[in-house]
Amino acid sequence: MAVHRRRVVVTGMAMVTPLGGNLEETWAAAVAGRSGVGYITRFDASTLPTRIAAEVKNFSLADYVAEASRYEECGLNTKLALAAASMALDHSGLDMDREDPYRVGVYLGAGEGHQDFETFMRLLRRAYRDGLIDVPVFNAGAVAELSARNELEQSPNMAAAHVAGFVGAYGPNSNCLTACAASNQAIGEAVELLRMGYADVMLSGGAHSMIHPLGVTGFNLLTALSTRNDEPQKASRPFDLHRDGFVLGEGAGIVVLEELEHAKRRGARIYAEVLGYGLSADAFRLTDPHEDGRGAVQAMQHALRDAGLDLSAIQYINAHGTSTREGDTVETLAIKKVFGEHAYRIPVSSTKSMMGHLIAAAGVVEFIICVLVIRDGVIPPTINLETPDPECDLDYVPNQAREARVDIALSNSFGFGGQNACVIVGRYAGN
Amino acid sequence: MSEHRRVVVTGLGIVSPLGFETAGVWEALRAGRSGIARISAFDPGGLPSQIAGEVCGYDARKFVSPKQRKALKVMCRDTLMAIGAANIALRDAGLLDYPRLDRERAGVVFGATMMSSELEELVEAAVEAHDEHGQFSMKLWGERSIQRMPPLWMLKYLPNMPACHISILYDLQGPNNTITMEEAASPLAIGEALNIIRRGDADVMIAGGAESNIHPLRMARLCLLGDVSVRNDVPEQACRPFDREHNGVVAGEGAAALVLEAEEHALARGARIYAELAGFGAACITSADMSWRVAPAALVAAMRAALEDARANLDSIGFINPHGCASVAADRVEAAALHELFGAAASRLPVVPFKSHFGSAGTACGALELVAGLLALHNRELPPSAAFREPDPECNLRVVHGGPERLERGAFLKLNFNRVGQAAALVVRSYEQG
Repeated sequence: MAVHRRRVVVTGMAMVTPLGGNLEETWAAAVAGRSGVGYITRFDASTLPTRIAAEVKNFSLADYVAEASRYEECGLNTKLALAAASMALDHSGLDMDREDPYRVGVYLGAGEGHQDFETFMRLLRRAYRDGLIDVPVFNAGAVAELSARNELEQSPNMAAAHVAGFVGAYGPNSNCLTACAASNQAIGEAVELLRMGYADVMLSGGAHSMIHPLGVTGFNLLTALSTRNDEPQKASRPFDLHRDGFVLGEGAGIVVLEELEHAKRRGARIYAEVLGYGLSADAFRLTDPHEDGRGAVQAMQHALRDAGLDLSAIQYINAHGTSTREGDTVETLAIKKVFGEHAYRIPVSSTKSMMGHLIAAAGVVEFIICVLVIRDGVIPPTINLETPDPECDLDYVPNQAREARVDIALSNSFGFGGQNACVIVGRYAGN
Repeated sequence: MSEHRRVVVTGLGIVSPLGFETAGVWEALRAGRSGIARISAFDPGGLPSQIAGEVCGYDARKFVSPKQRKALKVMCRDTLMAIGAANIALRDAGLLDYPRLDRERAGVVFGATMMSSELEELVEAAVEAHDEHGQFSMKLWGERSIQRMPPLWMLKYLPNMPACHISILYDLQGPNNTITMEEAASPLAIGEALNIIRRGDADVMIAGGAESNIHPLRMARLCLLGDVSVRNDVPEQACRPFDREHNGVVAGEGAAALVLEAEEHALARGARIYAELAGFGAACITSADMSWRVAPAALVAAMRAALEDARANLDSIGFINPHGCASVAADRVEAAALHELFGAAASRLPVVPFKSHFGSAGTACGALELVAGLLALHNRELPPSAAFREPDPECNLRVVHGGPERLERGAFLKLNFNRVGQAAALVVRSYEQG
């Protein structure tokens, strides 16, 4: 659109995922086609319809930041975000002592902290009398027994606040929570803030863990989760005929996005350029995507137009690919509608087959995968794709990573409720 | 900053403790009426603060077609109020039945937060999850409790539901986002919508916020966080921003929506224009103790950025539409920021703190106050605070009180921030063509 638009590049990346505690570990596992799914250990899920998830293993914030005890009462999402932010900052080489802190901002798509579920349940039970809730009893109990700090840390603004505090970023600070599209949308909006000139550097991305009792319960009630409890590592199988729902994952990813001239001035290493961002709403139904993929099509088309690219320029798509029956079919349809015959020539893979669905954090982790595909010339596979679904007939890079030079990649994220965000990232080509 | 499209406000919608139609709300504001009272939706006994700006007598069914009523069952209070505010705003803008609206170029950005489950929907599940010794058991939860919950339970409470439902009800297929930044959420959402139109990704955006604190768990949480007013005996006098006797936040609830529109789009269809949304700025200095003692510099930075974005001079500002939440600490921080930004003029500039009328509706507070401010700008009159008597000398701000005042200049500055130091500001000015 705009004639003299500021360009935005990626100068730092980090992630903490079910596949590894940092960028390279996660990437190596993804290229190797490993699954991060196992039995839920965070709480006793043994009687729930779904007992499996992709958890981050052996996570301790102290392994990532000094003074981790300062963040002891934070939610897991915030701790994961801090770990990723610390590594991303190092990766970028950004020296905050030499930056104007008001020109460095944070825009995350981070989720909520964990509720003190047992206490909440106990308070409710105690207030229940003769089929009714004695509300004053509940009120008094809640004020007496819930922890103020824990209640505060549950708010979905806290990860962005703590990351800004940790980094010393005084610039624009925001957090969006559009379900599974959140961190892709956060990246897109952070890019727009940089383009408009509100900041020169933005830390963006997201963090989320819904592997908590009400998270698993809520998704189980919606029958959205896989119940393949006997074969956890086979449960997330995007585009496979026998897929039966998604697998919850958790984790965080942070990228350092920077205005090009600013990055050049400080001699930063540039990993990629963000070329386009497109968003849309299905405006259809709460639980299902529009059956024609209307919103997904629009978001991909908007991203292509924003990037000023012909559709044939796209050489890799990191699919939303959640492993739900309808979602994968509709995404396939939408890709075909946008790309026509070219759709069959684009490798499309879903890394959710390995790390599960990181919900709000999914977008950023998949965006980073796209940058690494461009960097290393290898495309991670869609694992567990054993029986092709006739309705899903694209090249999903089944089960084995593939070497391929990729200069431009598209990352799709489609959220529950119908928000769609697509980001196009490309090899940085100088001027 | 590059030249971009101008954005105007063409519709206002509000669901507030002072009513649901802008005309009635404006009269109540002018009269300095407070919508704060003892909580009536549930028995607030056992809570230190038992008062709030509560929305009473609201019926969301009036704002949807008979065909759409089924959807109301999966909406909680925050969302029910949001769809009403959006409906009122769209009707006000003349867009409710506007056949030429390009729905792919119309979207929604709302401020909202995690919504608390109605206790009735969880209580039986909670009881079932305890064994005969009264011990909670996750095993029992999985075996018995889960069957006691409604299938769509989770969807009712996700923060993106206000924006999603609005998009579904009005088939708005453009950009859709939900900003979860507590009290800073609404101006961040409205600022983002402004930039979405400026950059050409949409022509029309519904932007605002929705939140209800009228819920036992939400009220308990607010009380736990501290700095709440316990003036339970005189609710309508409880919320006194910048007053010598300010003594804490009063809870609230509500929703408000603005229809933002690209200038040329509004002119082409002959829309009534309330004002121009001219500038947005945001900043954050994370506070160490998270208790409203935030750094004034964050607020100054957000306001300065918004003024620069609007290319507005300080002397063009006719009044301040502050956060003004009546926490002693927050009011003093905000006053310090205004003094730093405006210098000597700060103590003469009219300040209109609408929380004295509405209470603090969390993520919605900024949108409610912005709509009130737009009505003031439109009517060229500043409504008096509902409870102000004498200034806190440490704030030294000129709060409009006693009766309405004439507005002398055609622009105002809106500021909101939260207790952890996240801040956002907007500049609004009377629309002038050319």
